[in-house]
Amino acid sequence: MALFTQTLRRHGERWLVNAVLTAICIIMLLPVATTALISFKREQDVIRKPPVIFPCDTPVRSFDPTACRWAVEGYQRVLAPKPSDSWPLGFALTGNLFRIYVPNTLLYATVASLLVVLLAGMAGYAVARYHFRGRQTLMAAILAVTGIPLLTNLLALYQVGVDLRRAGLPFYDDRYFIVLVYVGFFLPLSVWIAKGFFDAIPVELEEAALIDGCTRLGVLVRITMPLALPGLLAIFLLSFVNIWNEFIAGYLLIAKNEFKPAMFGLYDFLSQNIINFQVIAAACVLIALPVIILFLFARRSFFQAMVEGAVKG
Amino acid sequence: MRLYLLSIGTQRVQPSVPNQDRAGVANNPKFWPGQLRQTAHRGLRVWLRHSLPFWLLLPTLIVLGITQVYPGFYTLWLSLQTRQPEGWEFVGTANYARLFNMRLFAESVGHTIVFLVGYVLVTLGAGFGIALLLNRKLRLSGLYITLLFIPWVIADIIAGLVWRLLVVPDYGLFSGILQNPALFPPNGLSILTAVPPRPWLGDFPFPPAPAMVYLILASAWRALPFIVLLMLAALQTIPTEIIESSRIDGANRSQVLRFILLPLILPTLIVALFSLTLSGMNGVGMVFSLTGGGPGTSTEVLSHLLYSIGWGQREFGRAAALAMIIAVVNWLLILGTLRVTRLNG
Repeated sequence: MALFTQTLRRHGERWLVNAVLTAICIIMLLPVATTALISFKREQDVIRKPPVIFPCDTPVRSFDPTACRWAVEGYQRVLAPKPSDSWPLGFALTGNLFRIYVPNTLLYATVASLLVVLLAGMAGYAVARYHFRGRQTLMAAILAVTGIPLLTNLLALYQVGVDLRRAGLPFYDDRYFIVLVYVGFFLPLSVWIAKGFFDAIPVELEEAALIDGCTRLGVLVRITMPLALPGLLAIFLLSFVNIWNEFIAGYLLIAKNEFKPAMFGLYDFLSQNIINFQVIAAACVLIALPVIILFLFARRSFFQAMVEGAVKG
Repeated sequence: MRLYLLSIGTQRVQPSVPNQDRAGVANNPKFWPGQLRQTAHRGLRVWLRHSLPFWLLLPTLIVLGITQVYPGFYTLWLSLQTRQPEGWEFVGTANYARLFNMRLFAESVGHTIVFLVGYVLVTLGAGFGIALLLNRKLRLSGLYITLLFIPWVIADIIAGLVWRLLVVPDYGLFSGILQNPALFPPNGLSILTAVPPRPWLGDFPFPPAPAMVYLILASAWRALPFIVLLMLAALQTIPTEIIESSRIDGANRSQVLRFILLPLILPTLIVALFSLTLSGMNGVGMVFSLTGGGPGTSTEVLSHLLYSIGWGQREFGRAAALAMIIAVVNWLLILGTLRVTRLNG
C-alpha cells in the first residue's frame, strides 16, 4: 500500500511537472503564435476594437470554425508576386524584401560564417595544440576584444567608412566591408568555442597516428578534422544565425539600397507600412522562418556550441 | 608577438620522446620530430614548423585588429575631439564633461540600472526554475527545450516588433485587457504611451514606467532560453549520488536545493549573471524596435543613448566618450567572468 501511494505520488508529480512545462512553453511561444495569426488576418480583422484572437466570430457566435476569414493579403504585399515566364512557378517575386534584401543577407551570412569557421578553426587549433608562451594572455585578449561594445566599433567603422567614401575608395558601402565587419564581430567567441572543441579531442589519438607513420598533415586531415567537424559546423551555424539576425551594423554601415540586408529591409518596410500590422507580421514571419527551421534541424549543434562558448567564455 | 611565437614553439602533438621501451621507434629516424631529422632544408623546415602556430593565428589577429582593436583606439581618439567644419579639433576631456552635465545621461544611467536589475533577476530566476524542472529526466525534455529555444533564434529587432504588435494601442491583442478601465483604473493602461509614475527617491527612475517593465519582460523572454540551457548543462554535471546521499542523510527538498545544488552551480550562475549584464548593457535592437527610447525618455538606456547622440544628433565626439564609458564597464564585467571561470578551473 505504501509503495502504491508512493508511485501514485511520483506519477502525479511527473504529470504536474509536465503540465507546468507545457504551460511555460505555451507562454513563451505566445508572442510568436499571435504574430503568425496576425499575418494571416485581413486588414478589417487586424484593426478591430476590442481585438480578436481568431478572426472566426460571426454576429451570432463568438467562435465558429466554419466562418474563419483567413487571408494571405499580408504575404501578397510583402512578396508582390507578378506573373512572369522566366520564373519556375510562373510568377516573379517583385517585393524588394525577397528580391534584394534576403539574398543579400544569405550571401553575407554564408560568406562571413565560412570565413569565421576557417579563421576560428586555424586559431583554435593553434592555441589548443601548441603550448607557446603567452597563449593564455592571447586568449584573454581575444575575449577582452568582445568587451568593446558593438556600437563603439560601429562609431569608428562608420567614421572610417565616411573617410573611405570621401577618399573615393571602393571599399566602403560595399559587400567586402560589411562581410569583414561581421567576421570581426563574431570571430572572438568562435575562437574560444573552437579551442574548446579541439581541447576535447584527445592528443593521444593524433600521437598514435603519428607513431603509426601518418604525416602531420595527414593527421590533421584524417584524424583531427573529422573529429572537429561537428564543432566547426556548430560554429558555422551559430555565426550564420547571429549574422542573419544582426541589424544595427547593417543599418549604420550600408547606404545603398541594393546592398541592404534583410533586417534593414524589414525596418524600411516597417516605416512604409506602419499601420498595416498584417503586412509587418507577414514580413517578420518570412524573415524569421528560415533561421527557425535551420535551428529545428540542427538544434544539437547549436546547444553544443552555446554551452561551449558560454562556459569557457 | 611574432618573435615570441617564433622562438618558443614547443609542440605537444609530436610523439613524446621515446624512452627505453620504445627504442625500436626511437631508432627509426622517420618517427623523430622534424628538428632532429637530417634534411637538406633543415633550417627552413624547423623554422616553418616552429612558426606554424603564428601563421595559423595571423589571419585572426589581422581581422580582429582591423575590426575591433583599431576601432577601439579610434573611438578613444574620437572621444577627445570635436567636429569643426574644417576637420576634427582636439578638445581634451570636454566631451566627457559635457556628457556628465547632460540631464539625459544621468537619467539613462538610472534607466540602465533599473533595466539591468530587472532583466537579470527575471531571467535568472525564471531560467533557474525552468532548468530545475527540465532536469527531472522527463521523456519530453528534448521537445520542451526545443520549443523554449525558438525565441532565442528570432532576431532582436523582430522580437521587439512582435512584442510591440501585442500592445499597440487599441489594436494589440493585450491592449483589450490592459486598456480595460475596470482592471487598470482610472483609464486603463496603454503600455507604449503611459507616463512613468513619480519616482520615490529623487530622480532615480523607480518605480519604472510600464514601457520599461514591458521592455524588461521582452528582453528576458529572448534571453531566457540561453540561460535555461546554461543552467541545465550545469545541473546535469552534478552527480545524482550527491543528491541521493544527502536525501538519505535526511535533507528535505529545499535543503538539497539550498545546500547542494545552489553552491554547486554558483559559478554558472555568476557566469550567467555577467553574460546577461553584458548583453543587457550592449543590446540596442530591442529598444530600437520596441519603444525607441519612449514614451518621452522613459526607456532611454545607455546603449540607445549612444545611438541617439551619435547618429541622431551627429555628435560623434560625445558619443565616443559615452562609448568609452560603456567599454570600461564591459571590461570590468569580463574581468569578473574570467576570474570566476579561472577559480572554477
